[in-house]
Amino acid sequence: MLRSHQISCQRGKNVLWESLDLEVGPGELLFIKGANGQGKSSLLRILAGLATPNSGSVTWDHVLIQKITDTYHPNLLYLGHTIALQSEMSAVANLQFLMRIHGHNIPQQAIHNKLLEWGLSHKTIQLPTRLLSQGQKQRVALTQLSLSQSPLWILDEPFNGLDQMGTEHLYQTMLNHLQNKGFLILTSHLHQNFQHVIANDPALREKIITL
Amino acid sequence: MTGQLSTIEVMQTVFLRDLHLAIKQKTDTLGAVFFFALVASLFPLAIGSELQLLKQIAPGIIWVSALLASMLSMNRLYTNDFNDGTLEQLTLSACPLEFIVLAKILAHWTTTGFVLLILSPILAIQFDLSPLAISTLMLTLLIGTPVLSFLGSIGAALSLGLQSAGALISLMILPLLIPVLILGTLAVDAASTNMPFSVYLYLLLALSILASFFGPLASAFALRIAQE
Repeated sequence: MLRSHQISCQRGKNVLWESLDLEVGPGELLFIKGANGQGKSSLLRILAGLATPNSGSVTWDHVLIQKITDTYHPNLLYLGHTIALQSEMSAVANLQFLMRIHGHNIPQQAIHNKLLEWGLSHKTIQLPTRLLSQGQKQRVALTQLSLSQSPLWILDEPFNGLDQMGTEHLYQTMLNHLQNKGFLILTSHLHQNFQHVIANDPALREKIITL
Repeated sequence: MTGQLSTIEVMQTVFLRDLHLAIKQKTDTLGAVFFFALVASLFPLAIGSELQLLKQIAPGIIWVSALLASMLSMNRLYTNDFNDGTLEQLTLSACPLEFIVLAKILAHWTTTGFVLLILSPILAIQFDLSPLAISTLMLTLLIGTPVLSFLGSIGAALSLGLQSAGALISLMILPLLIPVLILGTLAVDAASTNMPFSVYLYLLLALSILASFFGPLASAFALRIAQE
């Protein structure tokens, strides 16, 4: 379970938000709302442990995340607002690398299949990713969700650049994850809430925080 | 379908990827190597064919060229990964960032320091160095160039995200590399005049070991700050 205690974020002298308490556990979706520049991405980076809050603390199973990076990192899948793909390498090579640095050795064929499930063609996934469109890159990055075993997902604007079909597939992936005792934190400027994703399963819960 | 990978395997992955990318992005890699060869070749042309003089200045010229060439290539060590978000993923890896940084530095050394080392005997011939002096030169480069990569990595990590970082790295790190330069050239000088030179090699080795320990630690620390 991920928890924050009274965290605050400051940019220069400008306090973006303060005294924020949040908690997210199995089967829960935490939706962070806010206008541009309200510090949504900063909050996600703090929760991922990439940045430190100006005050307060973030804990994973009651221990500070900075103290247990070796157990916290394998439990975490963070997709930031820049799509972490090396432009000269193919989608398959990129994903294989990303999965390996997170400790997972996944055969190329499995990566291949998941990429096809996300609606990318055989040809596309062999090209250097610099030749892919924004939406295609987003799909490649999101394929990590289907490959990873991490219970906690932190997703910064995962719906950016996706078309109708990609969006539907992401809903389905999120639902599967939540039903498998996973939990996730995300931002999106395209949604008011995610009730339509979890409505059919009473065990799942959505929490909304507006910054 | 997944098996956990050990730290060594993750390091190997990072090392091989960087090597692969260095080969793909030839302009960056070859740029530093050609720079080294050109600068070292310009001196004999400018100074003329006085063999005695060339022999005397050869170690200094080759070492300074190697120093400048490896600083020139330092810029690319973290910049691309920082810009495309890969560095965030590396930071969040199950493997400690210090070890990942070590793998990246070793890959950088393989594509610069090691290539300069291979090239150095050809350049040394232009300066009429004796076989003993040439082999000593190669030995000093083998021991000394890792220091350039390890310290350069600290500079690259500290200047990450800044504009015109290239010049800044050189300004920060070159003064720190003066001992390496002095020891490297003294060893070759001693060898070419048939004096004992092993003491310089030992000192150089000590510097190299120190740098290999503190380089990754300080770089990882700076990289975490750069991403705050």
